[in-house]
Order: sequence, then structure tokens, then C-alpha cells
Amino acid sequence: MRPLLIVIGCLASLCRAQEQTNPFDTPDSVAQGAALFQTHCSYCHGARGEGGRGADLTIGQYRHGGSDANLFTSVRNGIPGTEMPAVRATGEEVWKMVAFVKRLGTAGLREKAPGDPAAGKGVYEGKGGCAACHSIGREGGSLGPDLSDAGRRRDLKYLEESLVSPEADVPMRYRAIQVITKSGQTVTGVRLNEDDISIQLRDLKDNLRSFLKENLTEIRHDKPSLMPAYGSILNKKEIEDVVAYLSSLRGTQ
Amino acid sequence: MRVAIALAALTLYAQSPPVTYERLLNADREPGNWLMYSNTYNSWRFSRLDQIDTQNVKNLRVKWLFQGRHQEKFETTPLVVDGIMYLTRPENDVFALDAETGRVLWTYSHKNPEKTYNCCGRVNRGLAILGNRLFMNTLDMHVIAIDAKSGRELWKTEMYDYTESGGYAATGAPLVVKDKLIVGMAGGEHSISGFLDAYDTATGKHLWRFHTIPQPDEPNFGTWAGDSWKTGGVATWNNGAYDPESNTLYWGTSNPWPDYNGDFRAGDNLYACSVLALDPDTGKLKWHYQLTPHDTHDWDATQIPILLDAPFRGRPRKLLAWAARNGFFYLLDRNTGEFLLAKNFVRQTWVKGFDDKGRPEVIPGNEPTPEGNDQVFPGVDGAANWMSHSYSPLTRLLYVFAREERRVFTKTAIRHADEDVATPATVGGREGGGRGGGNGIFGAGGNLPADPAAGGRGRARFAPEESWGKVVAIDPLSGVIKWEHKVLTPPWGGVMSTAGNLVFGGTLEGVVFALDARTGERLWYFAGNERVYASPISYLSNGKQYVSLAVGDVLVTFGL
Repeated sequence: MRPLLIVIGCLASLCRAQEQTNPFDTPDSVAQGAALFQTHCSYCHGARGEGGRGADLTIGQYRHGGSDANLFTSVRNGIPGTEMPAVRATGEEVWKMVAFVKRLGTAGLREKAPGDPAAGKGVYEGKGGCAACHSIGREGGSLGPDLSDAGRRRDLKYLEESLVSPEADVPMRYRAIQVITKSGQTVTGVRLNEDDISIQLRDLKDNLRSFLKENLTEIRHDKPSLMPAYGSILNKKEIEDVVAYLSSLRGTQ
Repeated sequence: MRVAIALAALTLYAQSPPVTYERLLNADREPGNWLMYSNTYNSWRFSRLDQIDTQNVKNLRVKWLFQGRHQEKFETTPLVVDGIMYLTRPENDVFALDAETGRVLWTYSHKNPEKTYNCCGRVNRGLAILGNRLFMNTLDMHVIAIDAKSGRELWKTEMYDYTESGGYAATGAPLVVKDKLIVGMAGGEHSISGFLDAYDTATGKHLWRFHTIPQPDEPNFGTWAGDSWKTGGVATWNNGAYDPESNTLYWGTSNPWPDYNGDFRAGDNLYACSVLALDPDTGKLKWHYQLTPHDTHDWDATQIPILLDAPFRGRPRKLLAWAARNGFFYLLDRNTGEFLLAKNFVRQTWVKGFDDKGRPEVIPGNEPTPEGNDQVFPGVDGAANWMSHSYSPLTRLLYVFAREERRVFTKTAIRHADEDVATPATVGGREGGGRGGGNGIFGAGGNLPADPAAGGRGRARFAPEESWGKVVAIDPLSGVIKWEHKVLTPPWGGVMSTAGNLVFGGTLEGVVFALDARTGERLWYFAGNERVYASPISYLSNGKQYVSLAVGDVLVTFGL
């Protein structure tokens, strides 16, 4: 029944087979898909696909299937039992959105880093001290994002920028705050949750903390990243190598 | 900078005190926390907090809600550790909440396959904790350790192939004993072979397995006719209790398979419908007591064991109290397994009396029949089920939210393992899934008209007045009921008693209540207006006592 509905709903050439690959996968299509994404998807999935009311699309993992055809079906028909509606767009437009969404979770897959990943691993674990806050697999800290699949999700430019200017793009889940209590205590950490009554954070010692706002004098957001800017800590070669190491992390997918 | 970061790495996880085994042993000394499923190893589900009492409970009000946003039954017992609440939501999602406000701190999600093989809904009843590790069982038969601070998975071990022999599942909360995690499994509705497992809490390594059906050459192997032992069921799907003094683990077992047709499994079918006393270090059986020999009524003995010490017939005894699905309250000597007394706490039609060893003398005519035997009490879902009872050391009474229910026992054809009995992922809503649904408000067992929006499944065979629920206060040393508080419908929620002399619970219609533990008088209620399928807890946040209970898909937290 489902294939019949799809054929009725769009041009047969655009959505003939269940496992069809995307016929609109050129850079131009991706750019057009990005614009369509802003119109149709960003309200729930965030301007950069980082999620919100809808799923985080930058992880590159999809509960309802990650093939081109699966994504096409999810966008085209919506996902029953969830808030994901059928998107009102032509078949061609849907394919272009699919092309863009696929890039969101696989931005790093098409690039080859010039640096030395083995040397970068050494810097990551040693001089950089990265594992204190970031995890790879089951090892490492939790103040910063997990990097197990950073090389699949992020392109080289993004990875380097994250090292040199960490505040350029801080995921919502890892935004740093400072709360100042009425007794004068300052607690710095990563914001986990907040409403008008209270705010929750993970402090620098990895403790989960919650504060009622009536007990605070101020909440500061002026330094959104806890990560040091590594441009002044590592030399150019070391940064290139760390980028190469991060680029080699492709997760389990 | 480098030094600073290295120091930061060293101090990671070093701050709030971990939940040591010592803390678990002495859980009653920190009443502000709720450290295990039944609060303490003796399974009293009794809170020593007394800020909320019989005088001020009338002022109790809702403090915050946790919106579960899930259609499945919400059976969880949360844990609370030093201001953070940890709970499971169906199917196998874990949430850490600020216990003061209910705000989410982190989430963890285990994705189950589309098909799992649970009889009665894709549910989970909660977590265990040791150190900074939380432990959860899953519907697809995994045990998972999760970091309590970050929500990150630390290890994941497969217990068993969940698709085998008609299907296995795990829905109960695990229990930590020393450095071991004791984990039960479900599947007694299928042709499985049950067990109780232990795992290393640090690594997830499998340590021992106790087979609930004796294997060839083991004692009591001959209690199953022919090859019926191979597929005899006998799951371990709820939580247990532990006595550190004698180093004994107590755990109940489920029905033998096939549930309602005992023709091909003649014999007592040990250790089905039994209390097991095990050595937690080795998994070796110390003693057993079978509540229902050769069960054909699905009268699981998977209730939570209650351990108490009291003088009995003139001398101090280590006792085990058990209010069972088969309608009887039992008192045993928990060191020896000696049968001390049994007394029914609901209508019952199947037992004439007990011999000295506690074996029931069964009255003929109670067997399931192909056309359906509707003259048997208690009903299919029993007088008690998985929902927690509570014992108060102040009143010295055992509180049981009991089911007086009229249902039909039908002797069914034997359903083989190759038949597809999986529960689809989409099941939910008011039907429990599996076993003909009927666990919800509007299904069989409910005392309200069928809900047209939910498919209109009603039953006309019995008048609603023939089934009801009641909180009973049993004197465990005599089995005598001191008081009872009747409710409209046989319940699916458990009870908690407190040092404020209150008994908390919730009904299938969503009435959350507080009773006077001494008299059964209802002193307070809240109209939750959705089914309660859980047992309450109590804890302190910022020095104030709270009570939490899942109502519908919402965890409701009350305070003064």
C-alpha cells in the first residue's frame, strides 16, 4: 500500500523504489536543500539541525532509518506516533532537503586531513588535556561534547575553529554559565536545564547542581564556552595533528 | 594551563559521596534518600520521615510533575540520592532529575527492538545503584550500567537471547548485594526456562546463574513429568530482599508453563511459585518453600519478600512475611524455611487447610476448564501481584493493597514457542499488551464502562460490584486483618508506610491517598485521574519531606 501512495504523491521517476538513492545530491541541490530546511524544518530541528522540539540531526543517527529512501519517507509522510508531520513540498524539494540533512551528520566524511592523527592522539591525551572534559567511546570527561564520531559529523574547518575559537559554536547542551548566589558564592558550569524558577548545571568538578533563582543574585552567560582557546596553547603543527586525530574518529556507524 | 586541566581530570567524580555498599546496608539511617527499590534490604518500603503526619497531611499539595510523555504503563520506583532523583520511564529510558524541582539533568535511552516478548506491556520498574553506577535491565535482556553523573553507558551485558523459546524479557529493578548485581527475568507465559543471575557491578561480567527449574541430577528434578522441565517457565521477574546477618538472598518465582494447563507437566513443578533462599555469593539454594504446588492459575510467587524479627510463639524468630498472589498471607522462619502460618486475606475457594510443612490441601473443582471456570477465587491477576507491600515497625502491621477480583480461568491449548507472541513497539495506551490486554482502566478488571475512544473493550460477565480493591493491615504474627480500606477497583499500585503513621498509595482511577496507618481512615486524597501502576516513595529535598508516585504517565511529587 505504501509504495502506491508514494507514487500517487509524487513523480514516479523521483520516488520509484524503496531503496532508491537520492537523485538530487549535487552541491547545488544541497544548497537549495539548506534553504528549504530553514523553511520547513528549522522550527523544530533548529537552524543548524541541532535539535530542539525535534531530533538532533547533526548526530547522523536516525531512529526511523537513515537511508536516503528512509529519510525521504520520513519527511514526505511524517512519522506516525511522533510530532513529525508530513512536509508539504514537492518530491524534488524533499530529495534536496534529504541531501542537506544527510550532510548535517556526515560533514566530515568527504575530507582527508593533512595532519598526523597518531601525533594528534598524543597531543589530545597529553599536552592538550582534552580527555578531562571530552569523551571518546566510554573514556573521558563529560563537561564537553562526546567526540567519538566528531570526524564524521564535523568538517576540518569546523574542527579547527573549535580548537582555536571554541566560542564560535557552542552546542546548547554545553553552554557555560556562572551563577552567583545571594551568599556570594560563584559556581561555574555547563547549563543542563533552566526554567523561571530554577537552573541546573554540571559544575567544573562534575557535580550535578540545582539552584532556585530566588537564591541567586545573577546568572552570567558572557563566556559561553568553558574550553580554552588552543591557539595559544598548541603550535600550528599540533593543532593540525589534533584536527587529523579528531577527523579520524568516525564512531561506530 | 596544562597542570590545571590535569588537576581537573583528577578531581572528576570525586565530589558527592558515592553510594557505597555500607550505605545500602544502612539505608534506614538516611531516610532522606531512597537507595533501592524497596528502600531497605528488608523490603519494608517504610520511610522514617515524619514531617508529613496524620495532623498535617490534609495540607499536602503537588510540588512538581515529571511528564513521562509515554503511553505505556509507568511502573517505576525512583531512587533518590542526595537531592537527585533517578528513574526509568518506559521502555528503557533513564532520567536524572533535580529532586527539588523535577527539572531534567540528563537522560539515557536504550532502544529496544521492534518486537520484544514481554507478557504485559513494555514496562520497567526501576534502577539499582552502587558507587556512581546505576543499573537497569532491559526488555531485550540486557543489563546496563550507567554513570550516575553523566548518564553515560559504562557497560552493557546480554543476559540471554531474548527471542529464544517464545521469548524472554527483563522488567524488574535489579538488586545490589555487596559488589554483585542480582537480576531477574520474565517470560513465564512462554516455554522458557527461568533463572536468577548475578553480575559483577564493576565490569558486567556474569558471575552465577541459579536455574529455577532443577537440572538433571539436581534435587527435585523429578517434580516435572517427562521433558516438561525443559520448557517449564518459572521466571524471577520482580525484586528480592537480602538479610546481611545470615547472608541470604530471598527471591520469588513465577508460575510454571503452560500457565493454565498442567496436563503435560504432572508433579509439583519445583521451584515454580516458590520463595527461594539463596547464597548471594554463589547462587546456591539454601531452602525453598513452594506456595502453590503444580500451579494452574498463574499465581506467581513474585511478590516482594518482607523480612522482620519478632517473638513468635514465645521465642524470638527471624521471620519472612509474604502476602501472595494465591490469596494467602504466609509467615515463615527465614533462616530455616519452616512454615509457621498461613491465612487468607481475600476470598478464596481453593484451599481447605495446610499440613505441618505448609503444603495446601487443595479443594477439587478449582481447575481451569476449556469453557471457563468462573467459580475460582482469587482471580487471574491474584490477590497480590508485583506491587509493593509495606511494613511499619511503628504499628507492626503489614500493609497490602489487595485485589478482590472475579475472573474466568480457561484451560487453553498449549501454545508453542514457534508462534509469534511478540509485543509490538506500538502497543500502549490502555491495553497492557499481550495476554488479551485487560490491564488498563477500561479493560477487563476495571469497574468502569468501556471507553469508546480506547476501543470499547468491556466485559459483561460479572457485575462491577463483584470485584474491588482494599488496603489491608495484617498483623504478621497472626495473619489477622486489623483494618481494611476498600477502593472501587482491584489495584495495580503498591503502598508505602511512613513514620508519620501514614500509608500512601494510588488507585486505578488515579486517586492518590494517605490513610491513617493505625485505623485505615483516609485523611487526604488527590484526584490524579489516570491509572496508578506504581508504588510510592518518600525523600527529603532541602530538608523537606516529599512523596512521589507515578500517576498515568506523570510522576507526581507532593509536599507540604
